[in-house]
Amino acid sequence: MTTDLDQNPRSLLVSERSSFRDLKNRISSQVEQLHLNYKVSLLLPEYSFDRSVPRTRIDEDNCVSLTPKGHLTLSLDKDSFEVLGVEGKPSRFNHRVKKRFVVSVDLTDSCMAPGGRGYLRLLAGLKSRLRLKMDFLLSHHPGGGASLQTLLSRHDWSEHRPEVSRHTLTHLSCPALLTSDLLSCDPHSFLEWLGAAHAHISCGNTSSSFLSSLVCPEPKTALSRALSVSVCGLLLPQDIHRLLQQIRVYLEESHLESWACLTVHGFVDSPVSWGANEHGVLRGGENFYSLLMFHDDVYYLHQATGAHDTCPP
Amino acid sequence: MRREDETDETSVFRRVVLKNASPYHYMKICLVLDDESTKLSAVDLKLFILTGLKNLFGEVGAAISFDLLKYDEDTLSGLLRVPSRSLVKLWSSLTLLGFYQNQACAFRVLQVSPYLLSLTGNSRELKLD
Amino acid sequence: MSVFMDLNLSFCADKSRLRSLIETAAHLGFSTVAVNYTFEPTAKKKQEIPAPMPITDLMDQLPVVQGRSRPIRVLNRLTVVMSDSSHFRPTAPEYRRFDLLAVQPTSEKLFHVACMTLDIDIICITVTEKLPFFFKRAPINGAVERGVMFEVSYAAAIRDATMRRYTIANATSLMETCKGKNVILSSAAEKPLELRGPYDITNLGLLFGLSDGDSKEAVSSTCRSAVLHAETRWTASGIIRTTKTCSVTPIQQEAPPEESDAPAAKKAKLEDE
Repeated sequence: MTTDLDQNPRSLLVSERSSFRDLKNRISSQVEQLHLNYKVSLLLPEYSFDRSVPRTRIDEDNCVSLTPKGHLTLSLDKDSFEVLGVEGKPSRFNHRVKKRFVVSVDLTDSCMAPGGRGYLRLLAGLKSRLRLKMDFLLSHHPGGGASLQTLLSRHDWSEHRPEVSRHTLTHLSCPALLTSDLLSCDPHSFLEWLGAAHAHISCGNTSSSFLSSLVCPEPKTALSRALSVSVCGLLLPQDIHRLLQQIRVYLEESHLESWACLTVHGFVDSPVSWGANEHGVLRGGENFYSLLMFHDDVYYLHQATGAHDTCPP
Repeated sequence: MRREDETDETSVFRRVVLKNASPYHYMKICLVLDDESTKLSAVDLKLFILTGLKNLFGEVGAAISFDLLKYDEDTLSGLLRVPSRSLVKLWSSLTLLGFYQNQACAFRVLQVSPYLLSLTGNSRELKLD
Repeated sequence: MSVFMDLNLSFCADKSRLRSLIETAAHLGFSTVAVNYTFEPTAKKKQEIPAPMPITDLMDQLPVVQGRSRPIRVLNRLTVVMSDSSHFRPTAPEYRRFDLLAVQPTSEKLFHVACMTLDIDIICITVTEKLPFFFKRAPINGAVERGVMFEVSYAAAIRDATMRRYTIANATSLMETCKGKNVILSSAAEKPLELRGPYDITNLGLLFGLSDGDSKEAVSSTCRSAVLHAETRWTASGIIRTTKTCSVTPIQQEAPPEESDAPAAKKAKLEDE
């Protein structure tokens, strides 16, 4: 048996172009599908700032997530799964032997109502047999306060504010023809350039530079300044929707060649991504999408995943 | 490895699925040295990594063109870009590098991804205040 | 996958160095480590089998695993270097003080014995010299059947260029015969800077001829199987094992945890299901 050292684990990049005006555009459902977002980064050209999940590892530990639609997913090792005694299925990412199992429960189902058969069985499994203890990251949106209060009153909890960081980037080289008709460079080069911008990496090299030959995709222009803003924490699709609306309003008000790029990173150790599909970590566990928007409502959506993931919607 | 999913010429909608097509992989690394006061410039670091490649894979290894995208001299940490087909070779040569100028050292590989963007949003780095 | 483990941190009498080894392993994300005591009997005089140092003598508080809230788990392991079949004494009560039992056979005959009959958990593949024999399919399959693991350690490959060649050559030779089954990768590190992270080792495994999946299991699930194998070895012939069960509430009395009672014939294959 020989392994080809040139091979890499699977990765997928889905690149889409559509318009907010297109009646068939699926952007809101696509935003809706990545429930557990860790970080949002926004890149705005020619703009300066002037206004204002469980903590365990999916490839090693038991992980649990609960999505806003009431879908509870437990990703458990074999022992815990057997002790829990609730129906589940083997993980899609098992290797050789079945070591990880996924239990998926729809909490809105009638038998899962408090007192129901399924509810009691799951509760008994979790409380007395498995005795699973976990830290959860919760996020609430306005209006859901009362039920959350009763829940929190029974547990130790602390509040964490999302962490916001802003950087004004100056003299940023940027792919020219960043317009709605034509993305001048291929999706991978575009994402590389975007990553370089957010990571404050200089693209001012030549292909013969010794240290780095990273260059901005040609043809290129220079932006005198741009704003890079990031928010870190547990962010809900609702938050992303609100942000999207604000960006669209901003784009409509601004001049013709304007664009904005929003990147949303999912949690690496989330048991689900892209809806209720199983997610895992082989090496990286990346799952993110990047939305490049233009003033004429056209957008490019790039959705990227690593090895243990399904194809994005 | 490119597949056109749906193409609809009449509307602006277009969808392309690219599988295993990432030309590069990116690594977030940090060098730990026995003597923490040792200074290393970006050029020193790149040359050191090149020796590692050459030791393990010979001239073929030394010919791998990787980039040091970013480097912080104070923390000896940086970002590397390597052609995807050479990732395993670069990574394993970093793993097996044990000495820098006769002092013990270790490369800590903090994150590896086919997307540079992922290196800016790793939830495993989340610290709750 | 299960948690990451390094089942071979070399014991050294220097407590502060051993402590920093364990701390570094925890920092790199290993949830379980084993401190390895090497015992090399010689023909001339009778030697004492070492006794493991209680972990409480080493540190008051175990370091927390990186990114998690739980402390690292530290096991003790004995490796007997066998150059004669009399070196392994199956009934030695001293062996029972260790959580894991390994042998390092130095000849083909002893390798065969270790694979087929010895009641051990791990067989170490030599990485510091050229393999003195070829791997044969029959003993390797025998060991795989019995749930005994093969260990390749990588610290020697970091220390010395010649050892690196032996490590890679011997490891690839093993993988060609065992097809990546029952392989664990561990450090055998003596110093913190000889330790590498679990994902680094997974990648290094590819160089040894393991597949992506087998390589990752070699630092996680396969190590766990070795630990479970060791646990069943000390039970009464693997038939009866008493465990403390959780407090039983009325609702789950009909379904007690399925923890014990693996029949003797099945004990070695406990994890192969």
